[in-house]
Amino acid sequence: MRKSSPMSTDMSTLLELQMQLRRAVLGGDAAAIVAAIHGDGLDPAARVGIYRNHAFATLGASLQGTFPVICRLVEKRFFAYVAHEYLREHPPHSRCLVEYGADFANFLADFEPSKALPYLADVARFEWALNIAASMRDTAPLPPRALAEVPANEAAYVAFRLQPSLSYLTSPWPIDAIWQANQENEVSPVDLASGGARLEIRRADDGVAWRRLDAASFAFRTALADGLVLAAAMAGATLQDPAFDVTAAVQHLFAEELVVAFCLSSERLI
Amino acid sequence: MTAHRSIPGGSGGVGLRPPHFAEIAATRPKLGFLEVHAENYMAETVALDRLLELRRDYEVSLHGVALSLGSAEQLDRSHLGRFKTLIGRVEPVLVSEHLAWSAIGGAYLNDLLPFPYTEESLGLFCRHVEEAQEALGRRLLIENPSSYLRYHHSSMPEAEFLTEVARRTGCGILCDVNNIYVSARNFGFDPIAYLDALPIRVIGEIHLAGHHAAEDVDILIDDHGSRVAKPVWDLHAAALRRFGPVPTLIEWDTNLPALEILLDEARHAQELADVHRYVDTA
Repeated sequence: MRKSSPMSTDMSTLLELQMQLRRAVLGGDAAAIVAAIHGDGLDPAARVGIYRNHAFATLGASLQGTFPVICRLVEKRFFAYVAHEYLREHPPHSRCLVEYGADFANFLADFEPSKALPYLADVARFEWALNIAASMRDTAPLPPRALAEVPANEAAYVAFRLQPSLSYLTSPWPIDAIWQANQENEVSPVDLASGGARLEIRRADDGVAWRRLDAASFAFRTALADGLVLAAAMAGATLQDPAFDVTAAVQHLFAEELVVAFCLSSERLI
Repeated sequence: MTAHRSIPGGSGGVGLRPPHFAEIAATRPKLGFLEVHAENYMAETVALDRLLELRRDYEVSLHGVALSLGSAEQLDRSHLGRFKTLIGRVEPVLVSEHLAWSAIGGAYLNDLLPFPYTEESLGLFCRHVEEAQEALGRRLLIENPSSYLRYHHSSMPEAEFLTEVARRTGCGILCDVNNIYVSARNFGFDPIAYLDALPIRVIGEIHLAGHHAAEDVDILIDDHGSRVAKPVWDLHAAALRRFGPVPTLIEWDTNLPALEILLDEARHAQELADVHRYVDTA
């Protein structure tokens, strides 16, 4: 049997120790790491607790900063509980905290204790989109004449790259109205039966802006944002509205400074 | 390593946080440098634009908090790549990281976690510092963390460990005076002896910040949430006597005050450094 070198033994010990501290910091069993540390006049578990408290306090605050309306809708104590469970199961992968919380909405959707609020996950998606719009810088838009160089018979195969701050969201709930109502001190009631929303969220001037789109425009722009070619986006839009005017729709995209690049798709699949 | 600029010794700087962007941009206060957490500027954000705008008028120090140089795993190459890109854009006057780890097994724990100080971890940490310096094309300053626990099988004091890292890798040391004070109180060691154990020539920066006493246990917590405490200023004076005037940063991250208070702390740091410069040259 091969003996492992002293180095690899020690490194695996260090790895084991770090996995033990990770488990304890994320709210799991702390017995193993507690046995490895000095009391120095205190209960060693209290020392580990300082690191656990810091992780939950700072990562919880990061989530609360990104999802303030969710926090308001469920109230602070419940939010702290949800955040705690989310952190345990989904600690950050990225070391840039601005990227933490991208899957929080999905977590909420499956979170049994909050199922009484069926719109919660979609409001979280809206807040995430607002967060992206607020933080991501806009790229210089293409002028409308940029498409002039595309031969007419190729135009159907153009794919666009849109502003990085853009998001498209659809929900069966009036999530924008719910969000808006929760910006006030006194929350006025929102009629949940008033129907859903198809939303476009983007950076605008020095803040964020969103608006509701009709079904055809939403289908068109979502398809383009997903990288589909113009012909495919048009097909989707026409299903919603047979009178959909694709020329005007493209002009609007440019006029609203949403297009930052385009390419001719080599695959030409519709 | 790239040749680069320096900050006048003893210059006071402040940690730049988004709520102060607009006021600093409008009033352009006199400061030795601004320091930011590198990880907050690694995406194509509006915050990065604002930082680059201030960079025209200020030297900027990039302070990494997530390279996790003390992890028993390999360094995250993609994170190193993002760090290098940021260095290329900001052209920082200083680049620093920590004697700590913060990520393992794909989870980033958003804290500067301690590891045991042993011959083996020393070898590992030095390899990681060398790898990071090579990848980033810059000499790093490594900061001593504040600590709340010690491992049974640590076999050398932190100051000795950090000194050896600097000797082996050529990195500099970012001496966080508040962290020394906090750890010294938490473990009952002499903070002056810690300062005396650090080599003089490699200290590239000093950090100062506030701390508070934990409610339920006899522990000081480094929270960067208040003015620098009197005993920390006293320890800073001892650090200046030993190291001479070194660029000094006021860190403030929680309960962020009005900019004027932050600037007042930086001015005080500058005055102390000036006194020591005068004493040194008298």
